[in-house]
Amino acid sequence: MADTLTLFTSIGLSEQKAKETLKNEALSSALKDAIIQARRTCGASGVDKAIGTLLYSMASRLKDPKRLAFLSDGIVQCKICTELQLAAALEFVKSHPQDPINQGEFDEACGVGVAITPEQIEEAVESLIKKHKEQLLKERYHFNMGLLMGEARSALKWADGKVVKNEVDLQVLHLLGPKTEADLEKKVKVARVHLFKRKRSPAKQSLMEQLRGEALKFHKPGENYKTEGYVVTPNTMDLLKKHMELTGGQIRSRFPPEPNGILHIGHAKAINFNFGFAKANNGICFLRYDDTNPEKEEEKYFTAIRDMVEWLGYEPFAVTHASDNFQQLYDLAVDLVRRGHAFVCHQKGEELKGHNAPPSPWRDRPAEESLVLFDRMKKGLFAEGEATLRMKMVMEDGKLDPVAYRIKYTPHHRTGDEWCIYPTYDYTHCLCDSIENITHSLCTKEFQARRSSYFWLCNALDVYCPVQWEYGRLNLTYTVVSKRKIIKLVETGVVRDWDDPRLFTLTALRRRGFPPEAINNFCARVGVTVSQTTTEPHLLEACVRDVLNDTAPRAMAVLQPLRVTIANLPEGSKSDVRVPDFPANEAKGSHAVPFSSTIFIEQSDFREVMEKGYKRLTPDQPVGLRHAGYVISFQKVIKDAQGKVVELEVTCCSSETAEKPKAFIHWVSQPLTCEVRLYERLFLHKHPEDQSVVPNGFLSDINPDSLHVISGALVDTSVKRAKALDRFQFERVGYFSLDPDSTADKLIFNRTVTLKEDPGKI
Amino acid sequence: KPSLVAKCIDEQEIRSLSAEIESLKNPQSLSPSQRLDELRDENTKLKYRLNILKRSLQGGRTADCCKSMTNINQRLQEVFGEAIRAACPELDDPPVSVAANQQAKFGDYQCNSAMALAQMLKAQGVKINPREIAEKIIQNLADNDLVQKTEIAGPGFINIQLKRPFVSKLLSKLLINGVQPPPLDSRKRVVVDFSSPNIAKEMHVGHLRSTIIGESMSRLFEFLGYDVVRLNHVGDWGTQFGMLIAHLQDKFPDYLTSSPPISDLQAFYKESKKRFDEEEDFKKRAYQCVVRLQSKEPNFIKAWNLICDVSRREFQKVYDCLDIKIVERGESYYQDMMTKVVKEFDERGQCLDEGRKIVFVPGQPIPLTIVKSDGGYTYDTSDLAALHQRIFVEKADMIIYVTDSGQATHFQVVFAAARMIGWYNPQVTRVEHAGFGVVLGEDKKKFKTRSGETVRLMDLLEEGLKRSMDKLKEKERDKVLTPEELTKAQRSVAFGCIKYADLSHNRINDYVFSFDKMLDDRGNTAAYLLYAFTRIRSIARLANIGKATLRKAAETSEVLLDHEKEWKLGKCILRFPEILQKILDDLLLHTLSDYLYELATTFTEFYDNCYCVEKDRQTGEVVKVNMWRMLLCEATAAIMAKCFDILGINPVGRM
Repeated sequence: MADTLTLFTSIGLSEQKAKETLKNEALSSALKDAIIQARRTCGASGVDKAIGTLLYSMASRLKDPKRLAFLSDGIVQCKICTELQLAAALEFVKSHPQDPINQGEFDEACGVGVAITPEQIEEAVESLIKKHKEQLLKERYHFNMGLLMGEARSALKWADGKVVKNEVDLQVLHLLGPKTEADLEKKVKVARVHLFKRKRSPAKQSLMEQLRGEALKFHKPGENYKTEGYVVTPNTMDLLKKHMELTGGQIRSRFPPEPNGILHIGHAKAINFNFGFAKANNGICFLRYDDTNPEKEEEKYFTAIRDMVEWLGYEPFAVTHASDNFQQLYDLAVDLVRRGHAFVCHQKGEELKGHNAPPSPWRDRPAEESLVLFDRMKKGLFAEGEATLRMKMVMEDGKLDPVAYRIKYTPHHRTGDEWCIYPTYDYTHCLCDSIENITHSLCTKEFQARRSSYFWLCNALDVYCPVQWEYGRLNLTYTVVSKRKIIKLVETGVVRDWDDPRLFTLTALRRRGFPPEAINNFCARVGVTVSQTTTEPHLLEACVRDVLNDTAPRAMAVLQPLRVTIANLPEGSKSDVRVPDFPANEAKGSHAVPFSSTIFIEQSDFREVMEKGYKRLTPDQPVGLRHAGYVISFQKVIKDAQGKVVELEVTCCSSETAEKPKAFIHWVSQPLTCEVRLYERLFLHKHPEDQSVVPNGFLSDINPDSLHVISGALVDTSVKRAKALDRFQFERVGYFSLDPDSTADKLIFNRTVTLKEDPGKI
Repeated sequence: KPSLVAKCIDEQEIRSLSAEIESLKNPQSLSPSQRLDELRDENTKLKYRLNILKRSLQGGRTADCCKSMTNINQRLQEVFGEAIRAACPELDDPPVSVAANQQAKFGDYQCNSAMALAQMLKAQGVKINPREIAEKIIQNLADNDLVQKTEIAGPGFINIQLKRPFVSKLLSKLLINGVQPPPLDSRKRVVVDFSSPNIAKEMHVGHLRSTIIGESMSRLFEFLGYDVVRLNHVGDWGTQFGMLIAHLQDKFPDYLTSSPPISDLQAFYKESKKRFDEEEDFKKRAYQCVVRLQSKEPNFIKAWNLICDVSRREFQKVYDCLDIKIVERGESYYQDMMTKVVKEFDERGQCLDEGRKIVFVPGQPIPLTIVKSDGGYTYDTSDLAALHQRIFVEKADMIIYVTDSGQATHFQVVFAAARMIGWYNPQVTRVEHAGFGVVLGEDKKKFKTRSGETVRLMDLLEEGLKRSMDKLKEKERDKVLTPEELTKAQRSVAFGCIKYADLSHNRINDYVFSFDKMLDDRGNTAAYLLYAFTRIRSIARLANIGKATLRKAAETSEVLLDHEKEWKLGKCILRFPEILQKILDDLLLHTLSDYLYELATTFTEFYDNCYCVEKDRQTGEVVKVNMWRMLLCEATAAIMAKCFDILGINPVGRM
């Protein structure tokens, strides 16, 4: 230890730093090797501080240890003498994983032997300043100095950045003189605006923009090996070459749901990410049903999943099934056993539960034996659970030898009674990706722990290995999405079915009237970040409003009607009123609604007793009728035996002559009766599954007012011919869509969202 | 106190029983229990597993995944068997008959069961037209991967057309895996008793047949994966050894220290026989020698061994020529066991003692004599002892005796006696006499030398060698081949022809031995087949296509069967497993020769009609190679080679 410490301090590391380095085993061993290699070339004294710093930097950043000696030599021979060159050198070895390294190309790429004199720097900066002189003089220090630096760097590729920076600063100072008060003050202000803009801009970007090209730090097709953590084997480059020939370098992704449940809002992100990424980059995306577990699959899920993908506006390049590959997967498994990477195990399921499961006593049995036993598994000679095929590998989370195949005497909906052994997710997923020549295997972050097993298996079989990239999962508050929990909700009658509009399954959202664009926009707004995001439903609802505002035509509906008779409606007054579909843009069309002496208004739009701030109809306060061109004034109230107001008598006058009323209210005349369903959050708490907040479980957290059905609502006739899921804005009430339960005689409207985030305002 | 405990337990039981009765009375409490659901689930799973197991078992036989060759006929029998059972549910075990068709117009295979089924149904009082039955069979055919089309012809024949991809795939499999035997349920043990000459006597043409047929059978069983024990049941025991030993003592008094130079054992035998017949003293001494040999006196055993060795050396010459592997286990081996066998029959009360001991076997025309009146044993005794040893010590599943048909009755009685005493169950152990007819001369009379003597086997083989060389020289092969190649060809042709002539005839019939016929290179002879085989082998060589290329092609390119002759050849190649199955059933090896000849002629038809390699007429350069046809050549050659191997014929590279 002490020796190593001395060794480290000998290259100029402080004692503190050297000790810290020692704690990192991998780094200290790499650094040690690098120093020893360097001394071999130039002796102990030749390794000075500058070289030492570069060696340290190299050792800590290099991924592939077999290049350590090569780069160490480069550093001591002063071929690599700046950080810049080192970065280029590291990049070069990363993108050239195969031997031998072409020294000429390497030198070229890293600027070996390129010397930049101070004169060259001075000259280059001078010409730059000249170029931007006018702007500089005008904006003074508000000028983007980064721009200057950038241009200077590209002009002087291998120059020391610090020297260039000093030169730029010096020449700018020379030109402009020292900073004035104004320079300083304004600069702060400008900076703030910048900050704000930058923060907001990703949300404004469309999904396609976020996913396009290099916006994500994903690898280019065929350059899988440039990805951090990707394992390069002697066959990798050949396989990648073949892969490129087959795909023509096109991006290929896939959306791989298990067909054992209904898609929910979380899947919307997966769909958008996978399909969107392919679409944004002229690639293709497969819809692959991961149907390896025969027990859980039902035909209805298959069609429902495809429906939802198409509803969100995506068309799969091809619909595939993991089960299409059962034979090939089996053949590969046999090969895996033959290669000594898998074995048949007889440990019982209970033994393997939990962490610290004991290692299998069958791990080292001869491959031939496993081959025979695996064949017997396939032939039905073992009972369920008596044998599994396991891969010889340790997962990131310490799980030993994951299972590849297990016995299930259950028919499969696609392969029928052909198989009694079925592959696991761990075994199937990466191989199906490989078979389909997927370039980017995108999955949520929970799968990060399976990344190395993903690479391991492809490499153990010498098949093309795609790259797994993870992204953050999307979670929504005030809801549950797990299949099991939704089943509970349906069974206990809390919700009507899987597509009950209070749920956040995609079918539920569709039924509630959410436009698919809104869901896609929501995904874009959440962003394609790697971090896990938990979002509140109101953000989604805001996206819905944005879309519906432009797309849902207006209509008028009265949820709690109050009959109003207009006593003085002039003879021959118009019986029809034209209502624009979109008042903000009348060019988009209009519709006619009848108007007569009997109309209905909301009960809440009339008050017998005036209250401060109340702007609608009172005995003393007239109110305008939207679109009708009339203002009505109170005459008389008719009450029932209980004293409840049942009808009003009013008089009207044209709004052109009347004094401008304080408010306009909506109304209906000769309306249709309909049922309206108003929805609120299903759960009372933000995290209904959180035992610390909801100790009795999510079923105890149901909002008793989550559904409110109004059977006698009145709506204007313009909605008469609406089809299921058609959306409307009922003026002043909210956005609604026609429920599929509707019949020609009985229309049912679901409230999609309210008009504003907080409907409490009067 | 114990009674109190017992009472407690009783009361408990009464309580639980009454509770059970209550619950039975009240069906409402019999709500569908969880246990019931579990059992139902388990039952479904077990049914599923049963189906998988059944299919695996079938797969084991039809072997899609393993290397063994598929018996198409058997597959068709399975498919049609199912259909027939479904079509005729009235019949318990309806017969299934499927056969390959020689004439293309009747399809590839034919199912002829409908007629027999109609007869059987008629016997049950159901009148139905065989054509209708055929139609029902076709309706009941399950989905399968081998039948392309069926067609009803004549009174109710079902003509079957195979799927080309199915045949093509089997050919590829054959090319990739080589000629593999059809799968065997378990490794069975088979004893083949053949050759079995007598010590001190010459081998003659009768032994030749046994040797050739026995060897070939053994090879067949070995190829099929059996554990084969080849036994030479030589005649090395008996009274004749008394006179031989006595004569030896007189002629070579120092035989114990220096090996006697007996060159002609036959002459030696004749001399001693003469003395035995003429000299009373010698006769007496001869009897004493027998007694002393039987009591295993070392000097006598030594003398006996010396005499046997002379014979063994003679036999070995023949075996070397014919490439025969066999283990000697003569009559002497069973001497001590005979006493036990006699005792067993005695104890079971199966012996009739009338001075000699005889055994009557019900249903058999003659009795067995197991002990002579002088107390000596007979062939009956030694064959029973040998059978006993083979069943109980060798634990053989199958025991085949290859001897001339003259011994058929003897063996039938021995086998019947063994069954009677319960040594084996014919359902489990197969004990069979594979008899053969006598060898006739070209005059259709018993095969003799011109002087009327039995033909010595060694002389016959030597003449074969001479004749084969004459033939090769006549064809001027001596000018083409190196001396070494020439000798190889000579031996290959000579011995190949002798074996093939024997094996190509139904063993049960007598056969006419004719060098002229067997060396003819036209017709169903080894000479023709050997030439044909070398020609096929040379096709690839002349086109400069190596083994590796062919192997690669077998893995990557499909064997096309579009040409009528390609199709015919392909099917013919794949009949190999069903031919073997047939021989396994009836032990008639000529079926294999017939097949080999048919394969060779079918190949010739193919080769005459389909170009394998196209060459430039002027330069002779290869212009185009039709790889799938090269593969057909290769498959033909592979099967032919295996046939030769089973027949014990050794083809040479050049001839």
